Amino acid sequence: MNEVMSKTIVTAKDGDKIISSVAMIVTLVSFGMLFLTLMMAFAMFRITAPVWPPAGMTRPDLFLPTLSTVMIFLSSFFYTKFEKNTVAGNVDRQNLTATLVLGLAFMLSQFLFWNHLKSQGIYVSSGVFASIIYAFTWIHAAHIVAGLGLLVWLYSALKSADKMTSVKVSSVGKFWHFLGIVWLIMFVTIFVL
Amino acid sequence: MAFFEQEIHDAPTTFLSKYVFSFDHKVIAKQFLWYGIAFLGIGGMMALMIRWTLAFPGQAFPVIGTLLFPNTNGVVPPDTYAMLFTLHGTIMIFYAITPILIGAFGNFCIPLMIGARDMVFPTLNMLSFWLAVLSALLLLVSLFTPLGGAAGGWTSYPTLSTLIGSAGVGQTLWCLALFVLGVSSTMGAVNYIATIITLRAPGMGYFDMPLTVWGLWLTAVLNAIFLPVLGAGLLLLTFDRVFGTTFFLAGAAATSGSGDPVLFQHVFWIFGHPEVYILILPAWGIVSDLLSFFSRKPAFGAKSTALSMTSITILSTLVYGHHMYSGQMSPLLTQSFMMLTMTISIPSAVFFANWLGTLWKGSLRFQTPMLFSLGVVFVFGLGGLTGLYLATVSTDLYLHDTYFVVGHFHYTMAASVLLGGFAGTYFWFPKMFGRMMNEALGKWHFWLSMLGLNGIFMGMMVIGHAGMHRRIYNPFVYEFLQNLIPLNMFITYSALLMGSAQLLFVYNFIHSMYKGPVASQNPWEVGTLEWTIPSPAPHYNFAEIPVVKCGPHEYGNPNLKGKDFQYQTEELVKA
Amino acid sequence: MNLLLNFYLKFFVTSSEAASNVGFWEAMKPPVDISTYGHLVDDLFMLTTKLILFFFFFVCLGIFGFSYLYSKKRHPQPLYTHGTSKKQIAIVALIGALVFVMVDMQITTISNRDYVNVFLNYPKESDDIVRVEALGQQWAWNFRYAGKDGVFNTEDDVVTLNDLRVPVNKKVIFQITAKDVIHSLYFPNARIKVDAMPGRISRLWYELTKTGVYDIACAEICGTFHYRMKSTLTVYTQAEYDTWMAEMEERTKHVTEVEKVENYWGWKWVASN
Repeated sequence: MNEVMSKTIVTAKDGDKIISSVAMIVTLVSFGMLFLTLMMAFAMFRITAPVWPPAGMTRPDLFLPTLSTVMIFLSSFFYTKFEKNTVAGNVDRQNLTATLVLGLAFMLSQFLFWNHLKSQGIYVSSGVFASIIYAFTWIHAAHIVAGLGLLVWLYSALKSADKMTSVKVSSVGKFWHFLGIVWLIMFVTIFVL
Repeated sequence: MAFFEQEIHDAPTTFLSKYVFSFDHKVIAKQFLWYGIAFLGIGGMMALMIRWTLAFPGQAFPVIGTLLFPNTNGVVPPDTYAMLFTLHGTIMIFYAITPILIGAFGNFCIPLMIGARDMVFPTLNMLSFWLAVLSALLLLVSLFTPLGGAAGGWTSYPTLSTLIGSAGVGQTLWCLALFVLGVSSTMGAVNYIATIITLRAPGMGYFDMPLTVWGLWLTAVLNAIFLPVLGAGLLLLTFDRVFGTTFFLAGAAATSGSGDPVLFQHVFWIFGHPEVYILILPAWGIVSDLLSFFSRKPAFGAKSTALSMTSITILSTLVYGHHMYSGQMSPLLTQSFMMLTMTISIPSAVFFANWLGTLWKGSLRFQTPMLFSLGVVFVFGLGGLTGLYLATVSTDLYLHDTYFVVGHFHYTMAASVLLGGFAGTYFWFPKMFGRMMNEALGKWHFWLSMLGLNGIFMGMMVIGHAGMHRRIYNPFVYEFLQNLIPLNMFITYSALLMGSAQLLFVYNFIHSMYKGPVASQNPWEVGTLEWTIPSPAPHYNFAEIPVVKCGPHEYGNPNLKGKDFQYQTEELVKA
Repeated sequence: MNLLLNFYLKFFVTSSEAASNVGFWEAMKPPVDISTYGHLVDDLFMLTTKLILFFFFFVCLGIFGFSYLYSKKRHPQPLYTHGTSKKQIAIVALIGALVFVMVDMQITTISNRDYVNVFLNYPKESDDIVRVEALGQQWAWNFRYAGKDGVFNTEDDVVTLNDLRVPVNKKVIFQITAKDVIHSLYFPNARIKVDAMPGRISRLWYELTKTGVYDIACAEICGTFHYRMKSTLTVYTQAEYDTWMAEMEERTKHVTEVEKVENYWGWKWVASN
């Protein structure tokens, strides 16, 4: 089965590739500006605050965010392998599944994290630091959900393999890696520093 | 140069796929045009109600007043007044100008002018329009919520726009509507940028593109970069309103936590200043082209016009702070923003000189599109120059938030863009609908509009200089504004004139669509690619992708035989 | 038709009434200038007007002059030029540079000078000045004077609603904030305004030169009754001011209820220098 599929996946025409990468870069710049604005807001609060975290707030426990970081890093890693195999012309469902599972695990750890915050008495409305943690992770998580949707969609793209498949895989990959990088930046600036 | 040639699919046959959920850029452009014109009407009606209230406080709005405000016998009540100016601003900027200039002309002109068969992502294009429709529905629904629509000004500064200042669900819906519209416009922008980079006809370098395409392209770049900034601000504002975060809450009335309302102002104007250029750049592009087309002369310094538009695009991202002088930023920031703002006038002066250079020693044909283009040069001259008062801190501290500001930004954003949009509509109407618009009505429309809008906006600058501040329901409760009653009435009469002049346009537009004289392939004798194909443009535009051999502005070459212009597909004749 | 007639009747009747009070040009003038620095704003405004009229004159000359000279009838054969010769580029660049040097640099320098030397040059706390705290709320201005002890946020503070009284020829310094939404304290006669932001204290100073009663407004949209957020500015002579202040201080003793929390919206004066 795999062999038959691998023969039908042909590399995309250069035109499709260039169009997709131009469009994907522009899209990622847009998404990047969204998160950059959020980071700017964070920086403004962080710099102007006399003490950080603001009075009455404690830093959340780092365990769950660190776990999320590991999950998303690993999922990106597996995606890279998947992408390499697809471009080489092989259908590689295992690595795609690994990416998807780790992405779901990331969402799970986020849910656990939000529950953990609540159990510690940190609610959305408990001041600006809590607002930042909740709102930023929500916005990021919403993008992760969209990313997971795209990963699921890739299965169908693999099924009807044609010249566009590797273009689709590399475009989704850019988005997925981008979300990983955004999480890493958020993790370092908001939780660690 | 073209990376690939788009396939030609069969023409859609059913009504739905042909006119409603169409992938065709020309149909989507027309959809955007209708959408924009409808909202232009709504926003214009709102403007008339605002003007009526200012000139005749306490008097019933004529004809439809009793229908709209039965509780007050047709008088606009103060809370509705706040809603009116908020939605007038929002609708005009995001639901009228954006769809007409960017949605309609962007979609229509870009593929036709660069020799492509469609946008690179037709589905995304369709999605972009239907998201805009969804956004419009959200906005219209907000009007019928218990406490009415948003009433915090189009800038919707917190804390007025948080639950402290506006309790109703209307403001939340407003935020969501703008967010959805932002997504729609960003989709459009991605599409435009990718199309222009990859689908230019073979032989067409960036400087062989018509300046219209340049303007639309730069607009798309700004849209793609800065709409997400607004999106982030709106998301945080929505969270503040719905989930109880405290990003923008502060002061004694903020019971939970403390954020910073000024943060929203920064975020808003980081987006908001480029937005001004998002709206005006397509109009600049259209005018730069039309002046050359109707002067029968190559665009003077086309390359430097394109480059100065580019440098304005870049500069526009660095000057937003001049909207916030009265909020007392640090003195150093204030001084830097003042200086940076001033630098914008260099590229502006350059393309103004180029526009006038295009007219110089031309052979001017005063057809309707040309009149409107000359109108843009006039009103944008006024609008741009009056910006200087607001860029310098000391005068701005007096003029900020007065009608002077209102007059200034209406000159730049409303008058220029509107006239540019009309110029484009009259110009591309034959290619859109295959018929010509009526010239005589068009000229009447131009002169009446010109008279009306200069009366309105010049009047606004005068009353603003006399100290009248913005967004007040009844100016005459103030002693120092008593003298301005006649002037305010004059502005309102001008607005009524301007409003009724648009009826001419609507009549002309609809009548010409069905009954206008049938247009030839190239009624204006213009050489850009869209005029090399029949009018109206056929399905998939170009049966064969054209090969571009010269620039878009080749007119009046003395060595040409038989005609005074060259198609872009013809080899350049040496002068 | 009736409607149209009504329009014109109203227009002519009301405008002729108003015109009898003030002349046509008089009506367009900004309100009378009563501050020491108002003329700086007015002068810069006039200078900028002259400069931009100079340039706009050339724009109009271009639009109308070229339209007349080079219409199709008068000038059938256009000049074939792309505007790319060295001379043409130099002229365009020169125009850009001229606008920058003649207009921008000039007004920026003047504005910057005024901004640094006057608007930012707050009077020293040690000087003989009047200090006022202003609090904006929907939809009124509260003003607070330090009272007899000269310390803010104490029981003997003099608090007024929508009523600001200051002595003439004396520097007044304000600290301003808002309770609920953003407001903007706007003195049209002094040519100045500053935003009142919840959670921040903004500052403003002026010295008034004419006695009389003037309007204070809120310039930032703050809700439905934004237009009603009007206060009175009374400029007294020093003697009148002292009398009024003594009266108010006496009254405060009887009026201020110690238990009422809302009387204590003030804050300790934030010393600036």
